[in-house]
Amino acid sequence: MAESIKNKNIEIVGFACSYCSFKASEMAGSLRMKYPEGVKLIEVPCSSRVDPAFIIKALIEGADGVFVAGCHPGDCHFIKGNYYTRRKIAALKEMFNAFSIDGRLRLFWVSASEARRFVDKVTDMYNNIKEKKK
Amino acid sequence: MKGKELKSRDIDSLFNGFLRDEGSIILGFKKDTITIGHHVFKGNIKDFSLINPFFNANGALYFRRLFSKGSRLLFVLRPCEIRAYVELIKLTQMEREGMIAISVDCPGTESVKETKGMTSLPEDIRDYFKEDTPKRWACINCREKRGVVGDGGIRLDKDFNMWIIPYTEKGEALIATLEGEWTDVPQDMAIKQDKEPEVFKTDLDMLKKDLSKCILCMNCRDMCPVCYCVDCVFNTDEYLPKGDALLNKILRTGEVDLPQGKELFHLIRMYHVSQTCVGCGACEEACPQGIPLTKYFKGISERLQGLFSYMSGRDFNEPIPYTTFKEDELKNAED
Ligand code: SF4
Ligand code: SF4
Ligand code: SF4
Repeated sequence: MAESIKNKNIEIVGFACSYCSFKASEMAGSLRMKYPEGVKLIEVPCSSRVDPAFIIKALIEGADGVFVAGCHPGDCHFIKGNYYTRRKIAALKEMFNAFSIDGRLRLFWVSASEARRFVDKVTDMYNNIKEKKK
Repeated sequence: MKGKELKSRDIDSLFNGFLRDEGSIILGFKKDTITIGHHVFKGNIKDFSLINPFFNANGALYFRRLFSKGSRLLFVLRPCEIRAYVELIKLTQMEREGMIAISVDCPGTESVKETKGMTSLPEDIRDYFKEDTPKRWACINCREKRGVVGDGGIRLDKDFNMWIIPYTEKGEALIATLEGEWTDVPQDMAIKQDKEPEVFKTDLDMLKKDLSKCILCMNCRDMCPVCYCVDCVFNTDEYLPKGDALLNKILRTGEVDLPQGKELFHLIRMYHVSQTCVGCGACEEACPQGIPLTKYFKGISERLQGLFSYMSGRDFNEPIPYTTFKEDELKNAED
């Protein structure tokens, strides 16, 4: 990775399902809860819309971490999208393990009402990556 | 397991019988005095060869996007080729209807690039097995050399008698056209089941080093039998920008090495074929730069398939893991 990328602030790209986690992030905002600025959210219609190619691209092109956030298993707006997400992300993590890439991809289940949970999860990820980068 | 013994002359009568029908073709290997390679037979199987010791491409590639429209096609190919065919059926890139796939025990192959002229082909099939020729990395580490995949298989027992064994109804119907009794197939075969692969482990620096000579020609993608998307993401400017798009990206984000996006291309491709890769090494064979691709693609795919106890091409009825799920699984996936 280029030096210029190394020295800048931590950046985390988050793909959030518009039916749950993205709503939770909005609620966090309206409740004036804070989460780190470096977290950039991308709204997706379902967590299973996230092709692992997006994640690989984000990481290779400079993001420090990526998370995918969707509805709890069983609660998918499209009934079963998040079950596919779970398989795809588990496999992608396995691939990252094989390449000794640790802790840079996370999967969260956050419902629309869980603003606190959302903030805790992303903040924890942010701090964790920041700690490792020191 | 029941099957029939297959004498050399039976091969002729079985396959010529199949070809008697107008509109029936066989994809297999043809060997003449100059060369040996994939060939489509029509009418009769003159110069047919069950085994080809030289690997150039995975034969399943040639009939991708085939919807038979009433014709009948018989594949008589290596296990890795039949496995790719099985995956393509699951991916709906081929129609199963008019096709029969027979896998032939494979002693391993040498890269076609390594052979210095191909004039000294052994006459007898056994010699392929005995001869201690150098093998491709993919073959030394092959997970399934046995003709146990597809609709049927042609196998050699330890005394080098040939057997033809059905695995599906289609295979059974084909083999039924052959004279001779159904008998129990011997247990002891010339080619044994391979041991489970080791868990692949590497790092990005290693990948970077191995890809240092890559010129992003994408031959590896184009020759991969299971990399089938018509609209590949790498044909767009979003993933591998060129011209204006590249300039914009550089102005936005900074310096780049060229060709730009090597790791990106290979990692994404690796993930995309992770459940369907058959470890055939056709990608590596196609690479003009001699990059050891198989070790990554095969290594990663075996790890990722292992997660779901899946093996590509093993079974027509086993769904590709990313296309299905269990409600109660992967409890540790969430962070
Ligand atoms: S990869 Fe396996 S099946 Fe394919 S040519 Fe090599 S040994 Fe034969
Ligand atoms: S064939 Fe070889 S040089 Fe071409 S893109 Fe693939 S790895 Fe790179
Ligand atoms: S990625 Fe390489 S080894 Fe795997 S199926 Fe494609 S060509 Fe064969």
